[in-house]
Amino acid sequence: MIRWREDSRPQWLNDPMNKWPDGPMTMLPSFRIALMSIKLVMRTKVALFFTFLFPLLFLFVYSGIFAHGNPAEVVYMFGPVVTLNIMSSGFFGLGLQSVMQRERGSLRRYRLAPLGPGTMVLSSLLANYLLELPTIALLVFCAMGFFHMPLQINLLTLLILVTVGTFAFAGFGLTIASVANTMQEAQVYNNVVWFALLFLSGVTVPLPMLPHWIQRFAAFLPATYLVTAFQAIMVGGESLFDHQAEMLVLLISGTFGLLFAWKLFRWEKEEKISTRAKLVSLTFIVPFLVMGFYMNEHGNLAATWKGTYSLLSHEPVAAEEHAAPVQGILLSDFENPEEAEKLLKSWQVLTDVGAPGRSLGEFDVISPGANGTGHALRFQGRVESAAGSDRGAVIARYPCTLPAGATTLRGMQFEVRGESRLFQVRITPPDATLPSPTLTFIPDSDWQTVRLPAAGLATPNPSLRKNIWVLEFRVDGPPGDFQLDIDEIRLY
Amino acid sequence: MSNDANSAVVRVEGLRKHYGDLEALRGISFEIHAGEVFGLLGPNGAGKTTTIEILEGLRQPDGGTVVVCGMDPGREQAALKERIGAQLQATVLPDKIRVEEALALFASFYQESASIEMLMERFGLAEKRRAFYEKLSGGQKQRLALALAMVNNPELVLLDEPTVGLDAQLRRDIYALIELFREERRTTLLTTHYIEEAERLCDRVAIIDHGQLIALGTPRELVLHSGKGTRLEVSLAQPVSPDRLKQLDAVSDCRELNGKYLLHAAPPAVAVAALVRFLEAEGNALLDLHIAQPTLEDVFVEMTGRRIEEG
Repeated sequence: MIRWREDSRPQWLNDPMNKWPDGPMTMLPSFRIALMSIKLVMRTKVALFFTFLFPLLFLFVYSGIFAHGNPAEVVYMFGPVVTLNIMSSGFFGLGLQSVMQRERGSLRRYRLAPLGPGTMVLSSLLANYLLELPTIALLVFCAMGFFHMPLQINLLTLLILVTVGTFAFAGFGLTIASVANTMQEAQVYNNVVWFALLFLSGVTVPLPMLPHWIQRFAAFLPATYLVTAFQAIMVGGESLFDHQAEMLVLLISGTFGLLFAWKLFRWEKEEKISTRAKLVSLTFIVPFLVMGFYMNEHGNLAATWKGTYSLLSHEPVAAEEHAAPVQGILLSDFENPEEAEKLLKSWQVLTDVGAPGRSLGEFDVISPGANGTGHALRFQGRVESAAGSDRGAVIARYPCTLPAGATTLRGMQFEVRGESRLFQVRITPPDATLPSPTLTFIPDSDWQTVRLPAAGLATPNPSLRKNIWVLEFRVDGPPGDFQLDIDEIRLY
Repeated sequence: MSNDANSAVVRVEGLRKHYGDLEALRGISFEIHAGEVFGLLGPNGAGKTTTIEILEGLRQPDGGTVVVCGMDPGREQAALKERIGAQLQATVLPDKIRVEEALALFASFYQESASIEMLMERFGLAEKRRAFYEKLSGGQKQRLALALAMVNNPELVLLDEPTVGLDAQLRRDIYALIELFREERRTTLLTTHYIEEAERLCDRVAIIDHGQLIALGTPRELVLHSGKGTRLEVSLAQPVSPDRLKQLDAVSDCRELNGKYLLHAAPPAVAVAALVRFLEAEGNALLDLHIAQPTLEDVFVEMTGRRIEEG
């Protein structure tokens, strides 16, 4: 029992920022409410459309139109599609839903039961997550079934990425729902943040195609972390461990969001949030600010982020498979048997760099070569990681000097054929400040021309020409045998 | 229903609440005893809903003391909610939730819950158990709201305008359910602005207006103490000034209402005789005459000068 003084309580005591909500945060009722919410979604056509069909629409647009149905590009686009889906469920599924329930008055009935705000927030989070998982499974299934996307990611890694991403963007949605007093206000906040994330973080337009200042800004956006982690793991063959800093930031921001949602939870639409509470809730973005400034200052948080970030921060690298061959400067064609023998010795095999593994790789000169030539180089072996590791990789490394005629360099062209799995080719110039153009491709069983644009290298400094440039073909991802035939490596 | 007959299940002392400049409650006090059906009667905006929501723990008072089932609703919400059942003035549930699902879901939140089957039977929802909430009629939704208030088998039931917006038949259905609460000796608080409801259902009534308690007692006590006497409802062939009727023997008050005259008289026989004599002398004629005991409406009119419906 409490006695209040006759004079009214000071207004600041009523500010939700000054007290933690009453009522328990209980798991079982949260789970029950979440299951009921999922049932209700399944019974509502509009909700079903936005939960399951809308993400598929994005997958087909991204994979069919942006990626031209090319499996190697579909892999690159898969991360943005998943991120877009996670973002939309966080902002519009969870965030707006919470405000709508409050405005409609349906939270009041729950308030009469022995449930606390924590239970309600937790139930929203659970429902959002449990709806997200089948949606992602559907996306994976369709990407593999319709576009033959090679699933170059361990399922556990995919689950962790989706879980962390869903948690982080649920935090975003819940924070906005907490500070918005009305549905209209929530929509304004949502749209501002949503469009910034949509267009400036690589979700719609690949970051390498955007101006450098936007790429710098993108380092502050959580969607960038998720998209990049997906692409680095699925395309670049990196591991989740390489992106632990970004995952940590996403987890921290998700936790902030959850705490704000709990603290600022309102049952009634008449309850309004103070400007002070809105300002305090801005601390939600602190982890992103720290991460963004650090990345802009130091470039990277982890060694592997470097590779991914360099992919995003340099000139556009577009795949040009089946390109019409151009006459360039022949670097190597394996035709002269003596030369071939000598050449063979200059190729090196690296396996499982920096990680335990039992991968193997070897070279051979085979006959005939591409385009009616006599010989070609065969790079073959097996990717096999150590138990508990998904980081097996084999790299064919060819250190070389540029021929005298290579004064202007637009790229590298080569003939390849091989098994249908993902390979990556990269040119590393001697000057570490220059970009390393990289291309991911899936070879056909017939010879094809693949071109790696390297406009970023432009006109090589004559002093660099005699230094060692390194050409690398890398294969990683799921354990198994691989084979890649290479011929007629040309500079153009 | 474990409380002793005379113990106060609800105790309210000097309860105050304001919304900005509006004083919604101006220090009201009352007690509700175990097993009784207690009514808060008053026009819209009188402070009934604010009072009941403070008792439910949904709102914090600005002053005064509130004890419900021995607990402070503001501080012991979780424990209190296990023991009370409440029905809101407007209950909103998701459109696509089924009747049995709603009952099962809300029952699962409590440590002790009533049988869902029994509740559906009792509240006439058994045939609609698989129906979506959006498909229910107004009366069925209200019965579901009442059933939800009972899912934890509460010792105190708080009903906020349980029959508002319902037609006469549906109201009678709800009355029957509240009568059932009385038979079970379940302490019940209901707010209403329907006189008939308060008189028919409530053991005791508190009349509130503009946030102040203006009368408290059993309906009979309130009427007897109103001092207005028996009510005569009269229709005449020709209009006459109410002031002239007020001067008749045994008539204490007279008001004209929709072409009829409402007279309060004690004893009524004397007043009727005087009225007949007056009409004969005036050459007027008596078209219709109803004699009724005074109601809570009369009490409210006496104390505020307004009818409850006028607000």
